[in-house]
Amino acid sequence: MANIKLSFILNRKPYTVETDPGKRMLDVLREDLGLMGTKEGCGVGECGACTVILNGKAVTSCLVLAGQMQDAEILTIEGMSDDEIGRVIQDCFIESGAVQCGFCTPGFIMSAYALLMENPTPTRDEIRLAVAGNICRCTGYIPITDAIEKASKILAK
Amino acid sequence: MKIRNFIQVKTVEAFHEAVKAANGSIAILAGGTDVLVNGREDDVYKDCTVIDIFPIEELHGVRETENMLLIGACTTHEAISHDPLVKQYAPILAEASGAVGSLQTRNRATIGGNLANASPAADTMSALAVLHAELVIERDGEARVEPMTAIFTKPYKTNLAPNDLITTIRVPKLSPNVRYDYIKVGRRKVLSISRMTVATLLEMDDEGVVTRFDMTVGATFPRPMLFPDISAMLVGKRPTEQDILDVAKALSDKIPEIAGIRKSTVYKQPVCRNISERSLRKLCADILK
Repeated sequence: MANIKLSFILNRKPYTVETDPGKRMLDVLREDLGLMGTKEGCGVGECGACTVILNGKAVTSCLVLAGQMQDAEILTIEGMSDDEIGRVIQDCFIESGAVQCGFCTPGFIMSAYALLMENPTPTRDEIRLAVAGNICRCTGYIPITDAIEKASKILAK
Repeated sequence: MKIRNFIQVKTVEAFHEAVKAANGSIAILAGGTDVLVNGREDDVYKDCTVIDIFPIEELHGVRETENMLLIGACTTHEAISHDPLVKQYAPILAEASGAVGSLQTRNRATIGGNLANASPAADTMSALAVLHAELVIERDGEARVEPMTAIFTKPYKTNLAPNDLITTIRVPKLSPNVRYDYIKVGRRKVLSISRMTVATLLEMDDEGVVTRFDMTVGATFPRPMLFPDISAMLVGKRPTEQDILDVAKALSDKIPEIAGIRKSTVYKQPVCRNISERSLRKLCADILK
């Protein structure tokens, strides 16, 4: 259908784009805004690679319609370096060897960010549950869990 | 995905107006976790006006009356799984809602959408069935109430008209004495489509005599079902090990009886029998001693 004007807050900055509301939010981020950090894995909400934070909640951006971005507050991996929690999580992912091929990493970091915003001192089981909707085929998950645990400890200091 | 038009509505009245104004097919969009997956295939929504109801504030959240929980149709599974009223008065629904998909899915997917999508494998269906949940459905401003089990005709099909909107899920409050158990069988813990769910509510008096018993199996029949004959097997009795074996057998025998003999029957029938026994033994543990 014809483009409509969508206004939203993305990574703490106001944006207005004219786009097809029938697109997926993932495509608006990648194609209209050139933000390639958010990845498409499965496209059906099963792998978590396209996870972003929409109005404070981790969601898969492949299952949100562009029209639903109207007036929303969105955080993507590109906004993580402007934020202490985001920076610490990224540093801990690097230090813990939680990144191998890197394709799943933005999604994991967004899920970890959503967790630490809500629960700054999660147990290992809570961490595992918070990232259970993200699939990693390289690391075996242990370094990822370690990284998030380490980030929570650094941030708690 | 290809669509004809996109409208966001913020009130139920605005929804009814949008339906009237849309000439041609409409598709109701709530959390989008089914619509966007369906929309990947064959341009199914290309002639549709997509009406996004997720922003309707009055359809979000859980309220209570003296005897009922009133769950807004756009309440997400994650919100339901943590809601204090649901945890107190319908804990089996909190548990079933927490079993849906992943956190990312539960943060978007809604209970009303789950019902309207009518997947026989939907995790909440067996819980809503044993709770005797009812749906408030609005058409053009007129509301009606139907038992939750009455809207389903076959897998992925309901008798809802395109201008029908599920607004509220009414769940009779359980007394604190009601024991419950919900088991989901999936290929892994998270992000799995149920192979089977078993939902059980059991209430006993001080003597251990059953006063209420509802047990059903989900992801097994074409639509959610309740079995008065299964309930009658325990009501009025103090359950024994033999009763448990009999109920589990009778429930698992429903599978070939209702769904016919399918490839999965050789798996589902014994699994149903085993987990039903496990569930009932857990709920009756103090009585069986």
